[in-house]
Amino acid sequence: MLTLDLFVNAIVAGILLGGFLAAVSLGISIVFGYLDIVNIAHPAFVVLGSYAVYILNSTFGIDPLLAGIAMAAPFYLLGILIYRFYYAFFERHGAESLRGLVFFFGILFLVEVGLNITYGVDYRMVNAFYLGKSIEIGLVGIPYRLLIPFVAGVAMIFIVYLYLSKTFYGMAIQGVAQDSLAARLMGADPIKIKSVAFGMGMATASVAGALLIMISPIEPSMGREYIGRVFAIAVLGGMGSVVGTLVAAVLLGIAESLTSTFYSPSMAPAVSFGILLLVLAIRPSGIFGR
Amino acid sequence: MGARATSLKTLKWKRPTLGNRIVVENIDAGYGAVNVLHGVSMELNAGETVVLLGTNGNGKSTLIKCIMGLVRPSRGRIAMELDGETIELTGKRLEDIVNYGIILVPEGRHLFPKLTVRENLLMGAFRMAARPHIARNLEFCFEAFPRLLERKNQPAGSMSGGEQQMLALARAIMSHPRFLLVDEPSVGLAPILVAHLFEKIKELKERRDLTILMAEQNFNQATKIADRGYIIVEGKIAFAGDRSLLREHHLVKKYYLGA
Repeated sequence: MLTLDLFVNAIVAGILLGGFLAAVSLGISIVFGYLDIVNIAHPAFVVLGSYAVYILNSTFGIDPLLAGIAMAAPFYLLGILIYRFYYAFFERHGAESLRGLVFFFGILFLVEVGLNITYGVDYRMVNAFYLGKSIEIGLVGIPYRLLIPFVAGVAMIFIVYLYLSKTFYGMAIQGVAQDSLAARLMGADPIKIKSVAFGMGMATASVAGALLIMISPIEPSMGREYIGRVFAIAVLGGMGSVVGTLVAAVLLGIAESLTSTFYSPSMAPAVSFGILLLVLAIRPSGIFGR
Repeated sequence: MGARATSLKTLKWKRPTLGNRIVVENIDAGYGAVNVLHGVSMELNAGETVVLLGTNGNGKSTLIKCIMGLVRPSRGRIAMELDGETIELTGKRLEDIVNYGIILVPEGRHLFPKLTVRENLLMGAFRMAARPHIARNLEFCFEAFPRLLERKNQPAGSMSGGEQQMLALARAIMSHPRFLLVDEPSVGLAPILVAHLFEKIKELKERRDLTILMAEQNFNQATKIADRGYIIVEGKIAFAGDRSLLREHHLVKKYYLGA
């Protein structure tokens, strides 16, 4: 019975982890999937979001999730600024591929070093009355510090999905990715549309940052652990498919959780990338790629 | 659906305002050092169907691109006269020109291949002035193109060439055009589809009181629906006249009828 117990718990933990990973990967899925921008700094922005939430929580006692949602607005504006800068100095000159990657690599270090100088390398965490509690359902114990990030992550995916498929700007984001001239012929300015999309990607980093610091204490360079995984999830899900991102993240979450439980946590990333390679061999466009 | 369809047919659309027009005055334009258009002048008056005729490489598409702001003329001017006001179009961006209600159905269609038929149509209504008319225009498009209704949830890229050209036209209707520009709609279509396409354009024009400027190589089909036309030869207007004159002109005979 012990093994079944472990197994069920590992599956549940994996699903919960998946909802959170989806939240962290969503920004990559949008920005890489629709704008072809390799924003390698995204996980660093997630960590930046965690610090913003940490400050709001430790100074004013604001609930971490609410703080993350509140910070989404300034993050959205920051995203628009970064995209405008990137456009003016890189994309406009057709220098996006390699130099653009270097640009975002630079931003990654700026964010990391900035946080390091300001807050040091100590681990930081947030407080909320529910974070230590959990609910027990039969064999399974579900801690709130995993359940809330899962629910929030899934909700955010759902909102972004509705936005992309039901609103004019959402459809235009997809349209610009498919045929930029066609979008202009409809009166949609690609630079404006892409700014909104990039801003949206950044806004998800703020919420994901709140979820990250709920799950575990953070330190400035923590984003690096996620770079590989978030790109794997975005590609696995099918570029630009937010539903695919969720499915891929849950898949990876379960695989990592099972590996950690029954084999060794250090093998978990290898299993993730093994799945990625396998899926790409069978379906190069990802699970939900069209 | 039947009752609704007939009621739509009798619905009155806002008639084009007489006096509204696009004027092209003496433009030179080209790509880099190569000049394609030499002192071209033309006009498109509200309510007209005007056709730009000419074989490949004579400048029809360049002229259309100039009006849309996709190619900048090096000399001359393009303006729109709207309700007594003159709006300069020379030097304006494509997005601004679209927002004035000048809508292009581009050569090669440029649909959004992964969006569904319905989503493509809705994207047509992206410009603010088209938004209040969405419900009515969508109903009109599905009624005028029943094939699109059947396929409304299918990705645009999965349809045949003829269906895609219909969708490109319908999407432009969704933009609620003041002036509709159509660039080489018959390219790549089988002759039977071309005939069908021009019948559709004629039907749209009559039912919606559209103003159409069309660049076309298919002389026979194009002159069937045009009120007047221009023949462009080597970047110059070689002839301008109404349909009957156009059909009898010696250039037409030379280029199209093999005489």
